[in-house]
Amino acid sequence: MIEYPSIARTGKYFVTAILLFIFQMILGLIMSFDFVLRGTSNTPVPFDILKSLHLNVMVLWLLLGFIGGLYFLLPKEVGRDVKYPVLIDFQFWFLLLIGIGIIISELFFTGKNWWLVEGREYVEAGRFWDILLTLGLLSVVYNVGITIHERKRHMSSPMLVLAAGAVGSILMYIPGEIWFNSIIAAEYFRWWVVHYWVEATFELIAAGAIALILLSITDVRREIIEKYLAIEVALVLITGIIGQGHHYYWIGTPGFWLFVGGLFSALEPVPLFLMAWSAYKDLKENKKPMQNKVALYMIIGATLGNLLGAGVWGFIHTLPQINFFTHGTQITASHAHFATPGTYLFLVLGFAYIAIPALSDRTNFFQLRGKIGFWILVIGFLNMIIALLLAGIIQVQLQRISGMSFMEVQNILLPFYGWRTIGGVIALMGGLVVTYDIIMIGRKKIV
Amino acid sequence: MNNVRLVLIGLLIPSLLMIPYSIISFYTDFANKNPEPAQVTVSFQGKVYNAIEGKRAFEQYQCMGCHSIVGNGAYFGPDLTNVYKRIKGNDAALAAYLLSGVPAKGMPPMREREMSEEDAYRTVAFLKYAQMLDTNGWPNNGSWDRDGNIDGVPAKQISPSGIWQIILGIIFINFLIFIVIMVYESEKEEEHD
Ligand code: HEC
Ligand SMILES: [Fe+2]
Repeated sequence: MIEYPSIARTGKYFVTAILLFIFQMILGLIMSFDFVLRGTSNTPVPFDILKSLHLNVMVLWLLLGFIGGLYFLLPKEVGRDVKYPVLIDFQFWFLLLIGIGIIISELFFTGKNWWLVEGREYVEAGRFWDILLTLGLLSVVYNVGITIHERKRHMSSPMLVLAAGAVGSILMYIPGEIWFNSIIAAEYFRWWVVHYWVEATFELIAAGAIALILLSITDVRREIIEKYLAIEVALVLITGIIGQGHHYYWIGTPGFWLFVGGLFSALEPVPLFLMAWSAYKDLKENKKPMQNKVALYMIIGATLGNLLGAGVWGFIHTLPQINFFTHGTQITASHAHFATPGTYLFLVLGFAYIAIPALSDRTNFFQLRGKIGFWILVIGFLNMIIALLLAGIIQVQLQRISGMSFMEVQNILLPFYGWRTIGGVIALMGGLVVTYDIIMIGRKKIV
Repeated sequence: MNNVRLVLIGLLIPSLLMIPYSIISFYTDFANKNPEPAQVTVSFQGKVYNAIEGKRAFEQYQCMGCHSIVGNGAYFGPDLTNVYKRIKGNDAALAAYLLSGVPAKGMPPMREREMSEEDAYRTVAFLKYAQMLDTNGWPNNGSWDRDGNIDGVPAKQISPSGIWQIILGIIFINFLIFIVIMVYESEKEEEHD
């Protein structure tokens, strides 16, 4: 049944990614109680440790999901099996071990050893883990690169985009690891990791993956699906690479960034709009009855989440005139909780709903459960996003414009934080439904 | 072939532009007048600590996991860029604040995290440096983040009546979400027929 035996090894990547996502949501939910019960809740683990785990666990499951997706889609596109199939297993366990190491370091060594925990947002994992992680990821690059190099078939452009995005992501982890004495340079290059991931290389992964998944579930011709891809990719790069400037407004870098960063990052929604629009057209054109409705839901979710969460929610606070007041408020939190799950969670779930049924030979699985899970996730996240957006608007007005003190404003925001917690509970339930569904589809067949 | 060229142009031109932009940002007369971290120091018991050591301590104790600095980080505590100004440049008071914290408001006593007095003063040196950065005027003049005092307002917790005030809003928004879902699902049904 399975043409290329190595893809049977990718199932565990998706299942682990989804379980880690559940873990991330639980961490977020606990943190939300720190906001509503400030000072009295005494959650067993302090806020900063929960927060670093919340981010690092996300990075880990995103990487696992993307690598799994890459290994799953690659053989068919290059017409040969992955060069070193054992590496797929080995890399999985290696990354998982590093992940566990990072979690243990965060929990027990925060503040004690800078080599184990660095306490910089998103790249909290200490130097020791950074080096191991980079080595592990480079071995993925090697395995993918050599497979592509020895391909048996002309490689399609979506696969090329996906692979380029994955390689780019791995390389972009490195600038954030360089030590600088100055906070300005340190922040300057820390954003190379974060911004170039979510607004450049991950977007390439998304563009390539959405095209490949549409190819596999619809009968739209390759040329049509690939038609817009090059323009999308070029626009993502042109707007995203210099759009970096929107992180350089207030960190001590010169004022020309206000102009350059504002201009280019304001254009960042354009390729996202194009992605959503071309996906819409492809689906309109499709005549083939689509069996795998859940995967389709996830892909539509990813394109819309990308357009609204990254595009629109990003645009509303990317201009320096606005960002001057919204920078460092809950507006950013609202944007982050829309763009990241909206795009990349649904993308990884899309991979999972393509791969797991295929690997477990259950392609005619029961669809309703996955759809319900999808909608509960959407409802939960939308509640969080709206609660945080309203909280952010109030915070901007009271703290940044009227000049009320931080804590006074936090007290006023309590009901909105309560609303956010409710949204988080709903989202967690949706996540559990999806996880249960995926485990049931893959049960006993994939390890 | 043309497509590859388009993508390469999209990649190379902006990437190459980042090189002069980065140089202008740090090494030219355009660069903002920022302090040299090695030269920003505080002294404690006859020893001198600079902002480079301070940055390392700031990272090690994960202040950025609750606070933001130049607006980046977490939003559980207030932004720390100008806190040195808020405490009126009183090194000893700031160091004592860090070590004893305000548990009732969520600021952990750093002493419980085995922060030494030396590390506290190192962190103070870093905060002294942060406040000297030329951040193009951020945070805005007049906002609490720039001119406020150390925050004396006690923290409150949510009460059930607090959430009732906005329950109508929650119901309304979820009603809208529900309608969108229903419209979407019914259109899918029609396509089937
Ligand atoms: C577990 C979360 C947490 C961590 C970790 C943390 N803080 Fe705080 N901190 C807070 C909270 C919450 C407040 C708000 C208290 C208030 O507004 O009165 C605060 C307040 C402060 C204040 C007073 C701010 C003001 O303007 O009133 C300073 C200074 C401060 N923290 C510095 C630090 C430094 C330096 C570190 C790292 C060594 C650190 N904090 C680590 C949560 C944290
Ligand atoms: Fe960005």
